[in-house]
Amino acid sequence: MKTSIFDIENWQEIGATLARNKTRTFLTAFGIFWGTAMLAMLFGGAQGFEGMMRRNFAGFATNLGGVFSNRRTVPYKGFNKGSDWDITSQDVEIIRRLAPAIEYSTEMNLRSATAAYGTQTKSANAMGVEGEYAGIMNPVIIEGRFINNSDVTNERKVAVIGKNIATSLFGSDSPIGKYISVDGIYFLTVGVASQLSEVSIGGRLDDNIVIPSTTLRRAYNSGNKVNFFVYTAPPGHSPSDNESVMRRVLATAHSISPDDKVAIEFMDISEQFEMIDKLFLGISLLALFVGFGSLMAGVIGVGNIMWIVVKERTREFGIRRAIGAKPLDITVQVLSESILLTLVAGTLGVCFGALVLGIADSLTYDPLLGHAGFELPFKTALIIVGTFFLLGSAAGTVPAIKAMKIKPIEAINDK
Amino acid sequence: MIGHLNEETVISLRDINKTYPGAVPLHVLKDISLDIRKGELVSIMGASGSGKSTLLNILGILDNYDSGTYMLDGTAIRDLSENRAAELRNRMIGFVFQSFNLISYKNALENVALPLFYQGIGRKKRNRLAMEQLERMGLADRAHHLPGELSGGQKQRVAIARAIVTNPSLILADEPTGALDSITSGEVMGVFRELNESGMTIVIVTHDPGVGASTNRIIRIADGRIEGSSDTPDFKKEQ
Repeated sequence: MKTSIFDIENWQEIGATLARNKTRTFLTAFGIFWGTAMLAMLFGGAQGFEGMMRRNFAGFATNLGGVFSNRRTVPYKGFNKGSDWDITSQDVEIIRRLAPAIEYSTEMNLRSATAAYGTQTKSANAMGVEGEYAGIMNPVIIEGRFINNSDVTNERKVAVIGKNIATSLFGSDSPIGKYISVDGIYFLTVGVASQLSEVSIGGRLDDNIVIPSTTLRRAYNSGNKVNFFVYTAPPGHSPSDNESVMRRVLATAHSISPDDKVAIEFMDISEQFEMIDKLFLGISLLALFVGFGSLMAGVIGVGNIMWIVVKERTREFGIRRAIGAKPLDITVQVLSESILLTLVAGTLGVCFGALVLGIADSLTYDPLLGHAGFELPFKTALIIVGTFFLLGSAAGTVPAIKAMKIKPIEAINDK
Repeated sequence: MIGHLNEETVISLRDINKTYPGAVPLHVLKDISLDIRKGELVSIMGASGSGKSTLLNILGILDNYDSGTYMLDGTAIRDLSENRAAELRNRMIGFVFQSFNLISYKNALENVALPLFYQGIGRKKRNRLAMEQLERMGLADRAHHLPGELSGGQKQRVAIARAIVTNPSLILADEPTGALDSITSGEVMGVFRELNESGMTIVIVTHDPGVGASTNRIIRIADGRIEGSSDTPDFKKEQ
């Protein structure tokens, strides 16, 4: 005898059985549909939400560290509490030599300035940086080029202007090769830049005028003073790996008390991003938990319905057993129903979830930043349907085994 | 007839006992010994609770017995696995029940074809064989009707067609006319007689003397024992 699962009539019969109880089938299928759709939407939604948030940091190094000076808060070696001090370019050179975990680094100096071209003027931040700044902020070069180390070494009077400055001063014309005035000093415009990230140091690049740090120091007569020193740690390292060296170098060079943690302000952005990562992990886990809860509700629904089906059809199973059905035939028949219901409704649910995610992804699309990532990878969709298939089958197995164990004579006599 | 096993014997029971366990165990069959030969049309009669349905269930391999021996067409029926029992029921026995026991959402043709489905016979062939039996029962025009669209007599004829479609060694009928009026009962008994005349062995459990009278042999059972068989001289016609 053959197993009924391979017989088309068996499947037609299952379809007919499901069609006979339309309301019940619909409600059970909806439970499964909603369970898989919720899991898919929560999974893809959490991913998309994370993508949207991460887009705000696009191009911004998340393993960023930095150090800047504050007034002393502890009197030390003749320096009073409240006295000023500044990081110097010599400090920066020593730190670069001694710090164990620096990948890209730059000194940064900021000044409020007025930029002018012809009759057009615009208030802006003048920002002095070194060539490796581009490795830290990943600016979007709209036109021309960015500041490089040669510009810094040769103290060139070149400027990269933010796209908003370019629009204000030049309208739709190209600023490249033209001289702009920054607080009365002329700089050759070599590039126009923007930034993807909503996060920045020293103001948004779109509104800044970036010039070589050495040029800025000379132009503003700030000697060797440096406002900030920022850097990224190489993969596998944390920015904080450099903290003790930096504090030691700066405290020694500027007679700062080793106990004065405020005077030398150290920052590690990676700690903030770790917190954000944990937040996203929490959101993903919550989404999975809620989604799995919906899925389990659907699975329990399938199990319940299968119990009812077995109870309702006990007599029929008895008749089938009397005329030659083997216990396995009955099990396969019951399981086939739950499998068909689970597969069809589960697949539709995942498709619906993917459709909703697709709509959300297109609504949140940004031409510059790209897609947020509201999507359901095919593999994940298969895993969801597969999980539901396994759990749905497991839920149908217990009633199916119960059906298998019914004695034909008891089943025939069942009222 | 209570005799010994020979080639013509389809059913041979020897000292069959059956007790239903419980707070007070119920000994429903007591040392039942019985032979039914090939081609017989036999009725088993008895009052309610006499054990006749239990005997039919044992004959139909639907229930087990506690002791004794049961040979069905030369095959020992004892401690069978569920699968083996299902196979033997499918190939050797055709059942006809009082309440027809047709599957309500299958049409007449599908109901008749169902035992063949469990034999693994392909759809075309089983539909052809099922249609042949429906034609034999005069129900070809009702082949695609659901049981709910058939009269009681038609339902029972569909059930008989289902019972004979596998060409079994034995037809077991449990009160086959119990749910029918007298005219339809007569028609159904006519069908059984025709089948018997074509060589089928038929055992009918009934409490209806009219049904018993239209069989070739009556086996009377009372209080779990065989009280007598109409082919023996000491058999009392009315008890």
